[in-house]
Amino acid sequence: MTHTILLIEDNLGISENMKSLLELHEYDVLTANNGEEGANIARQQRPDLVISDIYMPEVNGYELLEMFSEHEEMRDIPVIMLSAHHEMDDVSLAMSKGAAGYVTKPFMFKNLHATIKRVLNARH
Amino acid sequence: MKSDNHIKVNALLNGIKEPVLLIDPQAQIILKANKPARMVFGNDETEKLAGQSLQTLYDGTIFSFTESIIINGARNGRKIKLDFRLSTLKINDQEVVLAIGREIEKQQTLKEKLNLLKQEKAVQEMKANFISMTSHEFRTPLTAISSSVDLLETKLKMDELMNAFYQHNITKISTELFNLTNMLDEILTLSKIVSDNYAVIKSEVNAEEVVNYLREQYFSERKDGRTLQVKSTGTPRDIYVDKNQLSKILTNLISNAFKFSTKGDPSIKLNYQEKKLVVKVCDTGIGIPAKDLPNLFSSFYRASNADNIEGTGLGLVIVKTFVECNNGTISVDSEKDKGTTFTLGFKYRH
Repeated sequence: MTHTILLIEDNLGISENMKSLLELHEYDVLTANNGEEGANIARQQRPDLVISDIYMPEVNGYELLEMFSEHEEMRDIPVIMLSAHHEMDDVSLAMSKGAAGYVTKPFMFKNLHATIKRVLNARH
Repeated sequence: MKSDNHIKVNALLNGIKEPVLLIDPQAQIILKANKPARMVFGNDETEKLAGQSLQTLYDGTIFSFTESIIINGARNGRKIKLDFRLSTLKINDQEVVLAIGREIEKQQTLKEKLNLLKQEKAVQEMKANFISMTSHEFRTPLTAISSSVDLLETKLKMDELMNAFYQHNITKISTELFNLTNMLDEILTLSKIVSDNYAVIKSEVNAEEVVNYLREQYFSERKDGRTLQVKSTGTPRDIYVDKNQLSKILTNLISNAFKFSTKGDPSIKLNYQEKKLVVKVCDTGIGIPAKDLPNLFSSFYRASNADNIEGTGLGLVIVKTFVECNNGTISVDSEKDKGTTFTLGFKYRH
C-alpha cells in the first residue's frame, strides 16, 4: 500500500528535493508552502502522515499542531516536525503539542525515513 | 573650650577626602577649608582661604537652607566643576554652613561608564542574536545541499550507476556538511558562553528520554552500521538540570565516542544511585594519551593523537562549562588504544 505524505515547507529548494526523495521511496507526496494551506489540504485529502517545517509564514508549525488536535478530522493524522531549531526546548514543545516525531535540519534522509517508518508503523 | 572645638573641627575637616568649606552664612565668609578644598581652589597655603569672602570662589550668595551650589575649581591643571552640598551646623552657638564638594565630571564619567557598559551589553546581545540567527539561517541552505546529495545518491543507486568514485565523494560531501553543522553549533554555544548570554533553566528531566531522542536523531542509521548501546540500572528518577544543556553535554560526548573509535558500538550507561545519577559514556577507540589528559578541557586543545580527526577543540570546553552550570561532576578514564570513558554525575532535586 502506498502511503500519502503531505509536506509543508516554505523553502522551494528543500521542498522539491524532499518531494523527489519521498517519491523515489514510493510515497505519494502532496505539498503546501505554509501552515494554512497545509491544514486545508490535510482536511480535504487526509494524508497518512504530515511532515512540517516549524517557522513558516501565516500558520507556523506549533499552530498547525494545535489545529490538528482541535479538529476531529485531522486529529489522527501524525505530524513529524522538521526544523532548523534543534534545542531540546523546541523538541519538547513540539512533542507536548502532539508531534509524532522531530527531525532537525539538516537531516540525513536515512534518519528522516527511519522516523517516517516508525510513525507509520505505530499508526497501524 | 573654644580651642578644643577648633582643633576638633580642623581634625574633622581634614579627615574628609572631599573638598570641604565651613562658611559663615551671615557674613558670607569662608571660615575654614580642608586640604582638598585648598588644592582645588589653587591655594595650598594653610588657612589662606579662611577669612576670605565667599565671593572670591562663588558668584552668588548662600543661605543656610540652600541645598547645593556649583563652584569652579581645578585639579592637576584641569578645570573641574564641584557640586557643594550644604548643611547647617552649630559650632559654639554660631550657625555655620558645612559645604562638601564633589567633582561633577567624575559623576558624569561614572554615568558615561554605565552608558558604555549598557552599550557594550547591547552589542554583546546583538552579537549573540546575530550568531544565533545566522546559525539557524545557515541550516536552510545546508539542508538544501544535503537533500540534493541524498537525492543524487538515491538516484545513482536506483539507476545502478553508483560506483566507488561517486560513493566516496558523496560520502565526503555529507560528512563535511555535518561537520560544518556541528561547528556552527559549537560556535553558537560558545559565543553564548563567552558573552554570558545563556540562562541555566533547570527542571525535572528524564535523562533516558533525552538519550533516546538523541540516539534516534543523531546516532542511528549510521553509514558504518554502528549504533549507540543504551543501558540503564537502578530505579529511574528525574534529575534536576537544564534540558538543553544536558542534551549538548551528551551529544558532544556521544559524538566523540563515535568519532574516536572505528570498531564496536559506543555505549551510554545510566546508573540511578541513591543520591545521584551516574552516566558513563564509553568507547573502545584510540583513547587519550596520559600526557594530554590534564589539558583535555581547555579551549582549542586537541589530544596529540587526534590530528587526523575532525574537530574544533571546543566540544569538551562546552561540556565542562555546562556540567558545572548544572552542579554536576565529570571525570575521564582513558587508555591509549583501549578506549575512553567519561563519567558524569547529576543530582536529583531532593
